[in-house]
Amino acid sequence: MTTVLDRPSAPTPGGAHPIESLPSIVLRRAVDTSDRIALREKDRGRWVTYDWATYAARMTTIARGLAALGVHRGDRVAVHSENRPEWLFADLATQALGAITVGIYPTSPAAEVEYLLGHSESKVLVAEDEEQVDKVMAVRKQLPDLERVVVIDTRGVDMTDPLLMSLTELEALGASSPLDVAASAAAIDPESAAIIVYTSGTTGPPKGAMLSHRNLQTAAEASGSVFDVSERTEVLSYLPLCHIAERLISGIDAVAQGYVVNFGESGESFTRDLADVQPTFFLGVPRVWEKLMAGITIRMADAGWVKRANYALWMRVGTKIARRRWASGHLKGLDKLRYGLGWLLLYRPLRAKLGLSRVDGVLSGAAPIAPQVLEFFWAIGVPVREGYGQTENTAMGTITPAGDVRLGKVGLHVEGCELRIAEDGEILTRGPGTFLGYFKNPEATAETVDADGWLHTGDIGELDADGFLKITDRKKDIIITAGGKNISPSEIENKLKVSPFVKEAVVIGDQRKHLVALIGIELDTVSNWALHNRIGFTTYADLSSKPEVVDLIAKWVAEVNAELAQVETVKRFALLPKELDQEDGEVTATQKVKRRAIESEFSDMIEGLYR
Amino acid sequence: MTATDSTTPLLEVRGLTLRFGGVTALSNVSFDVHPGELFAIIGPNGAGKTSIFNCLSAVYRPQEGTIRLAGDDLLGLRPDRTAQLGIGRTFQNLGLFVHLDVIDNLLLGRHHLMRSGFLAGALWFGKARREELVHRAAVEEIVDLLELTPYRRLPVGALPYGVQKRIELGRALSMEPRLLLLDEPVAGMNLEETEDMARYIIEIRERLGLAMVLVEHDMHMVMDLADRVMALDFGVPLATGSPDDVQNDPKVIEAYLGGAA
Repeated sequence: MTTVLDRPSAPTPGGAHPIESLPSIVLRRAVDTSDRIALREKDRGRWVTYDWATYAARMTTIARGLAALGVHRGDRVAVHSENRPEWLFADLATQALGAITVGIYPTSPAAEVEYLLGHSESKVLVAEDEEQVDKVMAVRKQLPDLERVVVIDTRGVDMTDPLLMSLTELEALGASSPLDVAASAAAIDPESAAIIVYTSGTTGPPKGAMLSHRNLQTAAEASGSVFDVSERTEVLSYLPLCHIAERLISGIDAVAQGYVVNFGESGESFTRDLADVQPTFFLGVPRVWEKLMAGITIRMADAGWVKRANYALWMRVGTKIARRRWASGHLKGLDKLRYGLGWLLLYRPLRAKLGLSRVDGVLSGAAPIAPQVLEFFWAIGVPVREGYGQTENTAMGTITPAGDVRLGKVGLHVEGCELRIAEDGEILTRGPGTFLGYFKNPEATAETVDADGWLHTGDIGELDADGFLKITDRKKDIIITAGGKNISPSEIENKLKVSPFVKEAVVIGDQRKHLVALIGIELDTVSNWALHNRIGFTTYADLSSKPEVVDLIAKWVAEVNAELAQVETVKRFALLPKELDQEDGEVTATQKVKRRAIESEFSDMIEGLYR
Repeated sequence: MTATDSTTPLLEVRGLTLRFGGVTALSNVSFDVHPGELFAIIGPNGAGKTSIFNCLSAVYRPQEGTIRLAGDDLLGLRPDRTAQLGIGRTFQNLGLFVHLDVIDNLLLGRHHLMRSGFLAGALWFGKARREELVHRAAVEEIVDLLELTPYRRLPVGALPYGVQKRIELGRALSMEPRLLLLDEPVAGMNLEETEDMARYIIEIRERLGLAMVLVEHDMHMVMDLADRVMALDFGVPLATGSPDDVQNDPKVIEAYLGGAA
């Protein structure tokens, strides 16, 4: 890279709350710690590194290229790609110009791409490859504002269309431009929008939450103070970068704290990537924790008796130690010895296998997690802490304090964030993380943030005497049975999903006399089970309809029911004939079930359960 | 979309006749495959489809006829020579080394491209080392193209059947062939695996522009993918042309569907 770097400028002196924008920090790191590793990417089986100088150089040339294409302050640039270094380069280049980045989920189908590009009036789209280019080309006629599509990986793409341009061409264009990117980055208004995050919307079309440069900065400061991160911290970037959680970890905190972000081969290779990287700081959504746990329990079921006995023993010991550890904060006396022995015999090899041997900062977020799953990871010495937040407060809500874990609660409010429960039970937050509003949707903004600045989260919850928050459910998901009982379906669903055989569970019962559930089996584990029990099957639907499989799940449902209050028990259930899919509108890009869509699509099945 | 007839064919087969004792497996079979074309051969069981492949890759030696690849006569060559000339193939029943991992299976496909000797290879020194790096990089391109990244270092025998079929395809590709012979790439696959395989075949065409000859039972797949189709019955060509033409040819309907349609 031959680009001459712009000299970084110091953060604005004076002023009430000066902030240094993320692009400015990148430029500063390129000078202060130019050859320190910023990013790693597994490319064709090898880990390739990018230092901060390269990071800054790529960001600068892309910013200049975008400016040459006519991207100005306040314009929108969309990124439609899997996680990779170019995602961040394009994101920060856009921000450096004072323009606004819009992330699109790589799994989004063409219709959603059309909606997001159209609604955001994006001028330029950075598309990863042939797959994403195909989607935008199918809907380009409906997108009058879209002037250019920049393609990162041009293999298999017909580049003759004048709408298309390769990233290499864009960077060549940028290399010959004299634009002072450092000055542009320093002149950013901290209260202006830096990114728009479209919230997946389990109901209605997605809404574009605008987050300011100050929002991002305060969120980075907050997580820096909660977690012990440093320049030696390593993370694996694997959740979609357009989601606020991964964006914070790989794109915002990483720049602010200067740690290393690793991009694996993702998808099916995730478990391999995790084992390769052995991150020190790791965020998982409940689905990831459930999947990792299921992987272990299934493998153990196949293991020889010595391994099984060793596993059973040390898991029992580990669970007991974990419980004492939650109460006191650390290991004491004999527990140290017990844990040490267990570490040698089980925890260390197991954690190395999972890729969690080095983690100390571990977070679960984005949705409530079942206590059993948390307990499992604590038992093997992975201290998973729950966090609660949403896009609209830049994911700044609550966090489990390091020495005080209370199962079923998501911890105390983050410093600087106020927390309150409204009269109807809704959780309200207020603080520097509160977003600017929804893009082109002042009505929705007014419904979300009230006159006093309180953000209405849409979640129902309770605070205990010590200020620990317990989330009940999404406000609109609360089930009120025909008997007038208020029930939180997600709590029951999470209990059901603890089984390695259950992938999805949707509890239904609003205005009904009792609860029923639609359950989706986990294909990998159930087919493995079927194989061991000599049950032949062809497709997912066929497997789901096997009486033996129905029996297997029925036993589990009975087990879960035994732990539930009478009104919460699932009286009947049915197995879904297909895997839920984003393309069919059944789950959001983050794999959250769209309850209403499921209820209408499978209404015959549901009615059958009440007959 | 048919490849234009004006281009010189990559593969020319003329008057191919193959007999085993008194049985005539192939009788006067002629066809061309143009650069970048996907040419499919269909026909009922025992029609002689795989026999054609075996003639092309020099496993069988036909009694009559000529086979030319870009002007070079293939008849009478040893199988390894046909590989060097640029014919890569997959097998109906998998031909992988089940105890080797994916990378090693793919590297084996490149064996005929490797130059360094046994000793240099064992010492992994100088030219041999550079050579291995080049081959490893080429294999990684295929791993990427066929989405085999999760399996790199796993023994092939432990992987699902659909993945093994993909590795088989990958090994044929790693030979860097000019012409790829696919022998029933979706045999024994479920619907989803079949669709995936079709997607990979399309991807290979788009990215590498390879000419391919496909033998397949799955009629939907043939009709969707092929530029031209040849229908065979008992070693005798019935019709050659666009998928639509061949599908509607009365002789083909008679032979393939037993006249019931």
